[in-house]
Amino acid sequence: MSDREAILQRVRGAVRHEVDHPGAHPAPSLAGGFERFATRLRGVGGEAHGPVPSWQVGEVVTGVVNLRAEGGRVFAAESASEVLGPGVWVVPPADLAPIGFEDVAVAILRGTIGVAENGAVALEGRHAPQRSLPFLCRHLILLLPSTGIHPDLHSAQAALPADALDHHHLTWISGPSKTADIEQTLVYGAHGPLTLDLIAYTPA
Amino acid sequence: MSHPVESGARRELGSPEAILRHDASVFDLRLRRDAAAGEVPDWEALCDRAAAVKAHGLDHLDRYLEEFERRATEAGAVVHWASDAAAFCATVGDLLEEHAVERVAKSKSMLTEECGLNPHLEERGIVVVDTDLGERIVQLEAEPPSHIIVPAIHRSRQEIGELFHRRMGTPRGETDPERLTRAARRDLRTRFLSAQAGITGVNFAVAETGSLVVVTNEGNADLGMSLPPLHIACLGIEKLIPRLDDLPTFLRLLARSATGQPISAYTSVVTGPRPGGELHIVLVDNGRSALLGDAAHRSALRCIRCGACLNTCPVYRRAGGHAYPGPIPGPIGSVLGPAMHEKGASLPHASTLCGSCTAVCPVRIDLHDQLLAWRREGSPPRGFEALLARLAGFVMARPRLYRMAGALARVVWPALRVRFPGNPAHGWLAARELPRHPGASFSARWARERGAGE
Repeated sequence: MSDREAILQRVRGAVRHEVDHPGAHPAPSLAGGFERFATRLRGVGGEAHGPVPSWQVGEVVTGVVNLRAEGGRVFAAESASEVLGPGVWVVPPADLAPIGFEDVAVAILRGTIGVAENGAVALEGRHAPQRSLPFLCRHLILLLPSTGIHPDLHSAQAALPADALDHHHLTWISGPSKTADIEQTLVYGAHGPLTLDLIAYTPA
Repeated sequence: MSHPVESGARRELGSPEAILRHDASVFDLRLRRDAAAGEVPDWEALCDRAAAVKAHGLDHLDRYLEEFERRATEAGAVVHWASDAAAFCATVGDLLEEHAVERVAKSKSMLTEECGLNPHLEERGIVVVDTDLGERIVQLEAEPPSHIIVPAIHRSRQEIGELFHRRMGTPRGETDPERLTRAARRDLRTRFLSAQAGITGVNFAVAETGSLVVVTNEGNADLGMSLPPLHIACLGIEKLIPRLDDLPTFLRLLARSATGQPISAYTSVVTGPRPGGELHIVLVDNGRSALLGDAAHRSALRCIRCGACLNTCPVYRRAGGHAYPGPIPGPIGSVLGPAMHEKGASLPHASTLCGSCTAVCPVRIDLHDQLLAWRREGSPPRGFEALLARLAGFVMARPRLYRMAGALARVVWPALRVRFPGNPAHGWLAARELPRHPGASFSARWARERGAGE
């Protein structure tokens, strides 16, 4: 008998099919809004800017890039560049290998949903076709429509588009990469970005 | 004779200073957990819901396993099944050999610790690099992790500085956590870039969508999943949750319970391989189905490995994780131990039964009741212990004899406090002092106090 059949047979012998699913957890009544989200994001080591009108996003991002890039390469994923317009960033070539982003100084990507209770932003696979880019870059900038901020994770996940899982990965990003593995001392930039700037914008 | 955890504690943490530092670090996590849980108005209801979802999922695990396999396969993943640790190691090793992989970047997975994957792969000539900073530290020290969330919590910054000096060339005497972390980042970055496969654990697997949910703070799992073309995900069968809709319930509990963060830095929901890549998922039983069939102990399979029970446990905090035989220390390790490995039989005795673990468990595992249940099922006491237990039972069943024994105990008590070979309390006194005797029995004090009150 295959391992598959053996395991399934043992599991079938062990379960009773008596315990019902409790149903969805009702979303709690938490405060939402940009201010609460921004406070949370600061709490997890990120920085929130805005909300700014969409025509101003490019200007604000340029300011952050100038602060962070230190002359290094600046990439904006295609969907982010659509929001930004032209600037000091370039859209990465489609055929660049995953390790090709190793020395990227700043990456700019478009998030879709923000969560006020934990400062997390949903980065959908469709907006991050270069999967390694937001993890190899030294500094990460996320753009987020201010209308996409929800108070809690239940309502935030429910607000994702129905095909959010159809592009391989969906990542909730809450602040920069971090570790406290050496004597509980918090250090940002364990493996991934050292900083995370979020620019909230009011969609046109 | 001392308990294995007691002798292990004396061997591993060593100095009183090291024990105090460990205790403080671990309890700090507990305090952070309390603060984070206190900020969530629906915390208790959330725990109830999480426990109920897990209970339902486990009770329908056959269906959810098949659903998960179907959905994951539709998404393009290859699903493998492994009955035990040997089958699991062989499956992963064979996959890597088939792909001619020599270098692997691995992120944290307690399942691979449990199954001894690293030694197996190393025997086959494959270089496995643990990429979580704490895991990397214990890998370089050639020791197991001592905590399921903070693997190197037993190590001081001086020890880590010395290790990195030897292995990564940091300046001698460098103990600054930020500079040490930067050194590890540089060292591991080159290993990520040259890895030919990424191995990850899985925090949750969603049956409804065939998705894997992988949570880290460092982003190391995401690098492992996104750089090499081959991703192997190691998944214990108990990790399945029924629906995507259930996921926020667990994510809201996990990081808050573990470290007091509102959510971990990165939570990736991965469905199928990335374009041009391969995703292999290995579903592992290794004793889980047997535990599932044991109605008295099934609840332990709800565990989401947050570590909250370790951080609050007075025994774990002072003994350290290496004192526990088996891959998982602390209360949950002692509850899983008797079912999962042969050295685990005595683990349920390494507890004060204070119940703090049960109070903090976000999925409502009745940990201290489980420990007590395992004790009842374990082998009965033998020799001197059995004699004492029988004697105590005999005396306690006879009130007059009990009162006489109490009076006698108050006379000989001071002698018991003295350490001398042959003192039956000698083993106990090696690590602690007997408390001072109150001088009078409870009944005598009760009579006196009540008399005084009237």
